[in-house]
Amino acid sequence: MLEESGSEGPVGIGSGVAGPDIGVLSAARADTPRPMMVLNGVSKSFGQMQALSQVDLEIYAGEVHVLLGENGAGKSTLIKTLAGIYAPDAGEILLDGNRLALGGPSDARRAGISVIHQELALVPHLTVEENIVLGREPRFLIPGSIDRRVQRETARRALELVGFDGDPRGKVANLTTARQQLVEIAKALAHRSRILVMDEPTASISERDATNLHAIIGDLKRRGVAIVFISHRMREVFELADRVTVLRDGRKILTTLPDATTPELLIKAMVGRSVGSFYQRLERFVAGEVILETRALCSAAGLVDMNIVVRSGEIVGLAGLVGSGRTEFARAVFGLDRRTGGDVLLHQLPLPSDPVRAVRSGIAFVPESRKEHGLALTKSVCDNLTLPALWKIFPHGFRSRRRAAGVARGLIERLRIATRSTRQPVRTLSGGNQQKVVIGKWLPIEGNRRLIIIDEPTRGIDVGAKAEILKLIEGLAAEGCGILMISSELPEVVGFCDRVYVLQSGTVRGELSGAHLTEEAIMKLAVHHDS
Amino acid sequence: MIADVARISRLRGNRSLNLLPSKALGASVVLIILVPLFGVFAGGFLSPHNLVNIALQSSILLLIALPMTLVILTEGLDLSSGALLSLCGVVLALLLVAGYSIPAATLAAMAVGLLFGILNGFCVANLGMPPFVVTLGTLGMAQGLALALADGNAVSGLGPEIEAFSAFRFFGLPVLVLIAIAAYGIFHLVLYRTTFGRYVIAVGGNAEALRLSGVSVRLVHGAVYAISGATAGFAALCMIARTNAGHPTIALGMEFDAIAAVVLGGTSFERGNGWLFGTVLGVLAIGVLRNGLNLIGVDTSLQLVAIGALVIAVLLVERLASERSA
Repeated sequence: MLEESGSEGPVGIGSGVAGPDIGVLSAARADTPRPMMVLNGVSKSFGQMQALSQVDLEIYAGEVHVLLGENGAGKSTLIKTLAGIYAPDAGEILLDGNRLALGGPSDARRAGISVIHQELALVPHLTVEENIVLGREPRFLIPGSIDRRVQRETARRALELVGFDGDPRGKVANLTTARQQLVEIAKALAHRSRILVMDEPTASISERDATNLHAIIGDLKRRGVAIVFISHRMREVFELADRVTVLRDGRKILTTLPDATTPELLIKAMVGRSVGSFYQRLERFVAGEVILETRALCSAAGLVDMNIVVRSGEIVGLAGLVGSGRTEFARAVFGLDRRTGGDVLLHQLPLPSDPVRAVRSGIAFVPESRKEHGLALTKSVCDNLTLPALWKIFPHGFRSRRRAAGVARGLIERLRIATRSTRQPVRTLSGGNQQKVVIGKWLPIEGNRRLIIIDEPTRGIDVGAKAEILKLIEGLAAEGCGILMISSELPEVVGFCDRVYVLQSGTVRGELSGAHLTEEAIMKLAVHHDS
Repeated sequence: MIADVARISRLRGNRSLNLLPSKALGASVVLIILVPLFGVFAGGFLSPHNLVNIALQSSILLLIALPMTLVILTEGLDLSSGALLSLCGVVLALLLVAGYSIPAATLAAMAVGLLFGILNGFCVANLGMPPFVVTLGTLGMAQGLALALADGNAVSGLGPEIEAFSAFRFFGLPVLVLIAIAAYGIFHLVLYRTTFGRYVIAVGGNAEALRLSGVSVRLVHGAVYAISGATAGFAALCMIARTNAGHPTIALGMEFDAIAAVVLGGTSFERGNGWLFGTVLGVLAIGVLRNGLNLIGVDTSLQLVAIGALVIAVLLVERLASERSA
């Protein structure tokens, strides 16, 4: 609709400006159509982390506005701010020119903003109709009662808009993800939403369902609904978007028209940060014999034909977007998720799917979330450092406190963990020192050529501690261990790993090393180009 | 034939009254197998007198199991309802002995139950404490109070009104059975025809979705426990009518039977997946099982073993079935 209206439509400041040199430019519009929603200098921080800084954004009626950015670029924070879940620290949100104060999710709803999160907000054992009117049930005579006829009619109209062909009186639990998504969109429309925010709606549905969703989005657009859309599928971005905004490190990098850019330029905008203060490898080691090899590994958690090799002395990176299967691979190898096919070979021998066997064969697994999966927070440094190796330190099953403290002291010294004593609870340590404990607890299980899997080792810790952690990992590789490192920090992956597998949708999309290992190359493989 | 039933109920569009036995597998199997079995082997099982007995026994259990279904739908548990029933019974009996009318004494008993229920609900919904621990605490409190108030003995000498009340029949149906039927009707309407009922299902199913829809999750969540307490207070009237005395330990362990009935009736402890009529079947299954075992001379403690084993077996079958379909 807007495209047809000529000079009034969304027009860039000129295709010349949106050329190859994409610095900080934004596609301005002709002044006539006023934006439906405007964000002015919106900032949000969590403790030390600046999740959003000074973000300006304009959203017009009847446009599809795609948000792009790598993991942690601030997309989710931005969405949650629009949804009223987070209150911005600074800046303002204007709707139709009026300042909007969102005190909570219901305020956003009332203002006509609906967010469709990746975890769908439906009640599984209520029917489609009941979900659509949830919280706004039409009243029948007395408060608390429900006019089922009005409910049916409301639901029918909303479901028609999204072309829902299922049973409106069936339970939501029995629907496919794609149909549940349609129900959520219908719910938003029934609540008269004018702005529909969708967080990667096509990430978990089939190609055919995605095409269907695109058609519905086109339809909503024609009705004047503004759609904010997050996607990593490049083809989809270029098919759907009226405008594209790239976020990086919480800042808006650019807003552009799809015609004025290319996938390569967008990827460059997503990753292009100054590499400078990052940890540099001291030396590279000669890769030795194969420690881990997976052949066509499939798992119940969604891995498909994963072929990965880790050699002794090698630091191998697993890169990919959130949900690409990086952690799932680690879990399948370690025996935490059920494998559904393929082989895992450790030192050429099959490794059964069993965490106990994995630990006893010398595999160390440092999980992503140290507080949830890595540490017993209220327990002491000593208890945590000796936990996975108790069987090794005390082979007869009787625990000696002095012996345990001795082992812990050795590790504290070796890893330079800043703690008052071996008895200090780990909860009171800093993030960096906690991370050292999570890695250190695997060290008493000695052995040559061990496999060490580390998931996001430097997340949420300060720069100094980062360098120390990476140095520690490098030291383990020097001893002959094979390191499999999962990381979302692209500069870290590029600068630190010898070889990187890029995953997408649960399978390996490419392997990069040497001169081919660049941030752009990783992102190119990580986002969906085709299908 | 089952398919026909399913088709017909779909045509009628009445899903909440869908009588497919597969939904309450445990209760249906128990009823289908045990009724003929006891009919043959347990002397007098099918006699009118005994069937009335089962109905009377079941009607009290149903009054505890109905609110328990709501609590379990919110992924919670109310262990205190048996003890509350005993306590409210003692209170009711004491007030009747003191000369208060039946309605006044019943209201007072319901108030006592409601207070405990509100305490449960507040701790679970507002303070976020685990329902298991909270209601275990109130179980202890209510049981102790019941024993203290009754001085360890049954409170008897309740006067002629309560006897007249318990002897009341309508079209041959004893008053307790009438009350149980009415209670089911009320709970059915509340659960399936009111916004509150929907919110109860949503609390267990996806509390976040409910919160995002602008509903006070805490209020709904807490109210479920309050209802459970107040209903236990009302059930005390039925208990008194049946036993003609206020025994401080009469309902000891009744929460066990109630939870077992809900589980046998096909309500799951996860995601607000439940079926209210299944609870009726579950209650009848427990009633038949206990009564039949009584008749063939199995003592009460072994009946507990049977019910416990049955519950675990049903959960096991459900787990296997859901794994297969997944």
